[in-house]
Amino acid sequence: MTVNDTVHLALRNLRQAKLRTALTILGVSIGIASLCGMVSLGVGLQDQLTGQFLQSGVFDAITVTPAADLRGVMAGGPFVARGRGLAGGDGRGRGADSRPPAAPARDLNDAAVDELRALSGVRDAYPTVNVPVQVTYGNFSESFTANGVPMSVRDEGAFRTMTAGAFFAHDTDSACLLSLAAAKRINEQDPKALVGKELTLSYASSRGTAPDSGGAPASAASPGLAPEAVGAALPGLMQIQRVSITCPVVGIVEREVGTGPFAGRGGGAGLMIPLTRAKAIERENVTSVQALLRQTSGTSPRPASYQMVTVKVAEAKATLEVEDKIKTMGFSAFSLTDALEGAKRVFIILDIVLSLIGSIALAVSSLGIVNTMVMSILERTKEIGIMKAIGASDGDIRRIFLVEASVIGWIGGIAGVALGWLVGRAINIGANIYIESQGGTAATLFLLPWWLVAGALGFSILVSVVAGSYPANRAARLEPMHALRHE
Amino acid sequence: MSTLIATTNLKKHYQMGQTLVRALDGVSVTIDEGEIVALVGPSGSGKSTLLSLFAGLDQATDGTLNVFGQNLAAMTGADLCLHRRRNVGVIFQSFHLVPTMSALENVALSMMFAGVPRAVRDARARTLLESVGLGARQNHRPRELSGGEQQRVAIARALANEPRLILADEPTGNLDSRTSREIMDLLTALNARERKTIVFVTHDAPLAARYAQRTIALFDGSLAVETGV
Repeated sequence: MTVNDTVHLALRNLRQAKLRTALTILGVSIGIASLCGMVSLGVGLQDQLTGQFLQSGVFDAITVTPAADLRGVMAGGPFVARGRGLAGGDGRGRGADSRPPAAPARDLNDAAVDELRALSGVRDAYPTVNVPVQVTYGNFSESFTANGVPMSVRDEGAFRTMTAGAFFAHDTDSACLLSLAAAKRINEQDPKALVGKELTLSYASSRGTAPDSGGAPASAASPGLAPEAVGAALPGLMQIQRVSITCPVVGIVEREVGTGPFAGRGGGAGLMIPLTRAKAIERENVTSVQALLRQTSGTSPRPASYQMVTVKVAEAKATLEVEDKIKTMGFSAFSLTDALEGAKRVFIILDIVLSLIGSIALAVSSLGIVNTMVMSILERTKEIGIMKAIGASDGDIRRIFLVEASVIGWIGGIAGVALGWLVGRAINIGANIYIESQGGTAATLFLLPWWLVAGALGFSILVSVVAGSYPANRAARLEPMHALRHE
Repeated sequence: MSTLIATTNLKKHYQMGQTLVRALDGVSVTIDEGEIVALVGPSGSGKSTLLSLFAGLDQATDGTLNVFGQNLAAMTGADLCLHRRRNVGVIFQSFHLVPTMSALENVALSMMFAGVPRAVRDARARTLLESVGLGARQNHRPRELSGGEQQRVAIARALANEPRLILADEPTGNLDSRTSREIMDLLTALNARERKTIVFVTHDAPLAARYAQRTIALFDGSLAVETGV
C-alpha cells in the first residue's frame, strides 16, 4: 500500500465521521492554542525586557572607570584622585569584581580612550560626559544633565528609529536631541513639534565667553546654577559668567539610549548633545566640580581625564574577554552581561512554566484523540476485518490509523496556532489600548516567532501520533475472523 | 491434476469460557487445482472453520495445512497476510463489503493493499464489475444494491488480485433461489473459463450436488464422508 493511498484512505475515513473529527480537531486546536499562547506570552515578555535592555545599549557595553582603590584615594587626596587617578597610588588597583588584574592603576584620559578603542573586539570607546545645563524654552526652564553622545551611536537602538527628526549631522554642532519623555516635559501637547525649535542652554562659564560665536554672555543668574556662590567661594581666582547658547532640537528619540549603563536614569535626563560639544562645555563649566578644581589647583593644564568611559564591544559574547583585558590595563571595568544571562535563565524557567500550563489543555485534547480513535476502532472493527481478509497487513491498518491521528494533529495544530495568534493579538490590542491610555508606550506582549509556529505544529502532530499509536496498534492486532464476526 | 490444498490431521481448538471447543479435530483432505469442492455439514460441523484456515484468516491448533505447497499452520501473521493477498479470494455469506465505499472502490480496495497503481486498479475493477454484470452499478454503495448484486461485487473483489483459489463461505446463504443459481453459475463459469479452484461452504445439499464436482461432508469437526472422489 503506497503512502498516497494510505493518506487518501485516512482522509476518507475522517470525512466519514465529520462531526467527530471536527470536534477532535477543535479539542487539539484549543490545546495547541493554549500552549502557543502561553509560550508566545513568555517570548513576548522576554523580548520586551531584553529588547529594552539591548536597546539601552548595556549588554555590549563595558563601563570603564579609573581603578578604584580607597587607600589610594585617601592617600592622594581628592585632587590626586581626580587629577591623576591612581597613577600615584600604590599600583594595586583592582577591578570592580574579584578577578585579579594586577596592573598599575591609570588615568582615564583621551590617550587611554584611544588605547581602549584600539583593543581587539572593541567597536568604539568614548567617555561619558555629562554637563549640567539650564534649559529654557518659552516659559519652560528646568535644569538638565546634557549627555554627550558620540556620532558612532547613530545606528544603535532608538537612534536608528528616531521618533522624530534626525541624528546630529556633525560632532561639533550646536544641536540637541531629546528623549520623548523630556520633550513631553517641555511641550506636553505636541512634543514632536519641538524638532527644529531652538532651546536655550545656559551654564556658568569660567571664561566668560561661549565656546562658539553662537553663544552670548548672560547676566542673569539662573536658579539652576549658582555662579555667584561659586565666585564668592573663590574670590579673585576667576571670572564667572553665565553663558547661554541657542541649540536647535534636531530629533527626538523614544527613550534615551545610553552612552553608559546609567544614562537616562534620574531626573533632568533626556537631553543629548554631540560628545565633542559636551566636552567643550565641560571644560569651562564651573558647575562641574572637577573643572572647578582644575581651575583652582593652579597647576599647569592637564589633559582632561574622565570619570567613566564606555567601551562598546563588537559582539556581546566577547564582553567578558574584553572586560578582563581592560582590567589588566589598570582600569576598573564592569558590564551587565552576567545580569543578562541571569535574566535569560529566569525567562527560560518562565517559558517552561508557561509551557507546562499550556500543556495541560494539550494533554486533555490528546486524550480526546485517544477516545476518538478508540471509538473509531469500535465502529470500524468489521471494516478492519474486511480489509485484513482481502489482504491488508497489520502495518497497513496501523499506518491508516496513525495517519488519521496525525491529520487531526496537523489540522488541529494549524488551527491552534491561528487561534493562539488571534487571541494573543486581541489581548495585545486590548492591553496596548490600556497602556497607551495610561501614557505608556505600546508593546508586543505576545510574540509568535517562526520557531514557535513550527514547534507547535510539530508538537501537535507528535502528540497526535503518540495518542493515536495505542488505538492504531490495537486495530492492527485485531484477528481477522474475530473482527469479521463483530457486529 | 496437481494438489492445491492438503491437510493432515488438521485441528482447530479454542476455548469458550470453561469449554474447549474442538471445531476441527483431525481433518485430512486434499483438493486439486481446478476443482469445485463443496464443504457441507450441519451447523457447528467445522466447515466454515476449515474454509477460514484455507483462507489464512485463522490459524490451526495442530496438524499440517499445505496450500500452494506452503504450510499455513506454521506461518506467521505477516506471511498469512501475503497468502490472503496473493493466493486466495474470499467470498462471505453476508458479503462483507465496506459500506462507505462504492462498488468500484470495494473491488479496487484489495488491489490497493497489493500496491497496484490507482489507474490500473480502477480500470481492472471496472472490467471485473462488468464481467459480473454490474457495469452500470459501479458507483453505487452496498446499501443501494440488492443482495445478489452485493455478492457479485464480492465475487469481483475476490478476483481482483487474480488468485487461483476462490473460497466462498455460504455464498448463497442470504440470497433467494434464483439469485443463488445466478451466483453459483457465475462461480462455475469462472472455474470453466479460468480454471479457478473453487471451494464453497453450504448447508444446501442439492446446491452442492448440482454445482460441486466433489463434496466433503463434516460432522462434529471430523471428516464424515467424501463423495464424487
